[in-house]
Amino acid sequence: MSATLVSKSERAYIQASLQTTPPLRADGRSLLDFRTVLLETGVAPLANGSAKLNIGKLAREGGGGTEVLAAVKLEVEDVESGDGVDGGRVACSVTCSPSAYPHLTSNALDDLQHDLTVILQQTIAHPSLHPSNLAIIPGRRAWLLNLDAVILVDSGNVVDALFMAARAALWDTKVPRTRPVAYQAPSVSKNAVKENQDSMDVDQGTSSLDTRDMGRTAADFELPDYWDEGEVLQGRERWPVSVTLNLLPPIHLLDATLTEEASVPLRLHLMFSFPSSAPPTLQSMRLSGPGELDLVYLKSCIADGEKYARGLFTALESKLREEDVRRNAKARDRFAALR
Amino acid sequence: MSSRIEILNDGGFRSDGRKQYELRDVLIDLSQQGTADGSAQISHGLTQVLVTVFGPREAKMRSHTLHDRAVLNVEMSVAPFSTGERRKRSKADRRILEMASMIASTFEPVVQTTLYPRSQIDIYVHVLQQDGSLLPACINATTLALITAGVPLHDFVCAVTGGVHSTSPLLDLTTVEENDIPHMTVAVMPRTQKVTLVTMETRLHVERFRELFELACEAGQTIHKEMKLAVKDRTVVLVGAMDAGLKGVAVDDRDRDVVMEDRI
Repeated sequence: MSATLVSKSERAYIQASLQTTPPLRADGRSLLDFRTVLLETGVAPLANGSAKLNIGKLAREGGGGTEVLAAVKLEVEDVESGDGVDGGRVACSVTCSPSAYPHLTSNALDDLQHDLTVILQQTIAHPSLHPSNLAIIPGRRAWLLNLDAVILVDSGNVVDALFMAARAALWDTKVPRTRPVAYQAPSVSKNAVKENQDSMDVDQGTSSLDTRDMGRTAADFELPDYWDEGEVLQGRERWPVSVTLNLLPPIHLLDATLTEEASVPLRLHLMFSFPSSAPPTLQSMRLSGPGELDLVYLKSCIADGEKYARGLFTALESKLREEDVRRNAKARDRFAALR
Repeated sequence: MSSRIEILNDGGFRSDGRKQYELRDVLIDLSQQGTADGSAQISHGLTQVLVTVFGPREAKMRSHTLHDRAVLNVEMSVAPFSTGERRKRSKADRRILEMASMIASTFEPVVQTTLYPRSQIDIYVHVLQQDGSLLPACINATTLALITAGVPLHDFVCAVTGGVHSTSPLLDLTTVEENDIPHMTVAVMPRTQKVTLVTMETRLHVERFRELFELACEAGQTIHKEMKLAVKDRTVVLVGAMDAGLKGVAVDDRDRDVVMEDRI
């Protein structure tokens, strides 16, 4: 994924300045500093949850920085006849805009898109993170959660941006409340609910809807209230954050720009999940680049990575809670003030 | 479903509360996007399009260039979450290719391509949200992106969709209206009073055409005013920045926070 081509001398220059004491980076950050991260949720009105994330926007020009848009859309799937899975499933896709990678051919762009999709899919759709409220009627209907991310601009550290945007979109997602429904003929005793709709006697015109205590016998479902007021995904604190360590042994740096990414031999992507009542888990890990790494060093990198991911997680969590307040409580107050 | 929605009620209001000839809010953002030479994001109501322009530059494939003028290469991508029903369209989708070729043919007579022989101008169109009038939004955003990239144009291109509900013409249609009534898209060059695109996929009575066409041309002039204002604002900011560079940075700007809505 080293996007820009840098010359040998440029690479040597960047590497040498990173290894001096104190280390020097082109934008004056220290090795472990992130650029400014900007986040906004609820940017796509037609999605069930969405977020726009920008890393490193320039203060005055109003442009620049890596920009990722992520949105979640829910679809109902039939488990028996369709390709739905009991309990729901999660599907991720990543689209890279050609303007983010102006020098890549469309084939290379497709490859990159596929690589990022695989990383996102394998991490987010892992069974250990699966939200329990994607089921509608056990054995019959389930939600398909589509997570689509679009990379609009890449100016370095795209994997971290992708995971942060994905986490924010998933956090923002509201699953519509559903109520199971079955059709019941009045002549039959209340306990025996007919499952098969074909056998129902329509001509009598006395069939009734019963929505109480359906369990496994329900034939279909209905949406009891307005769709936007659903419940959040179960276990939304667990969605992982990614932290990328750009390794230039013995040092490593975070949030590298494109030229820095092109000058370091190795990148280690670590995706950590921080459940509120359990110790953190390493959900997935990728090593990319032409270099090699010894095992002891890798272990110390993972330990460091956990520390950085914790910081990132805490910051993101507080921003997401703030966004929740902004979009719900404050919007309600503003609406009330207008009336 | 569409029969239940009243396109134009007795009071003369449309389903979203607009009058017959009223256009939706136009928001224009001309801030820089990554390494692009020019970019523009425009929203007509809930329809939102981002266009980035690269070039004129050397083509990736030399065989695609022309010896006497530049080639316009339009690529379009539609975000899967932009519509009500999620649908992932590939880049080779016929509908998308058709839209892209329509945009390219609209701009071929407007861009002064003869100034850049053997080169290519890449126009990347991203559809972020759709709620009707998609093609006009793409065309307007492309005009602005080409202007911010500094590509010489003969004139602005301003597009708008118009439709007819029984005998009353409507402007700037939403998805609901587009599904229900005959409509066409018109792109005008406001200064030279020329038309570069007229397209219609539905059937319209020939006696209604003239009135609607003239109305759409007039609406193009209104959109032109908005677009000109946005370009002028940006130019003023740029000129101001050039002056600031000579005098040194103004002190009060230093401790400003960065916000997502920062735009030129």
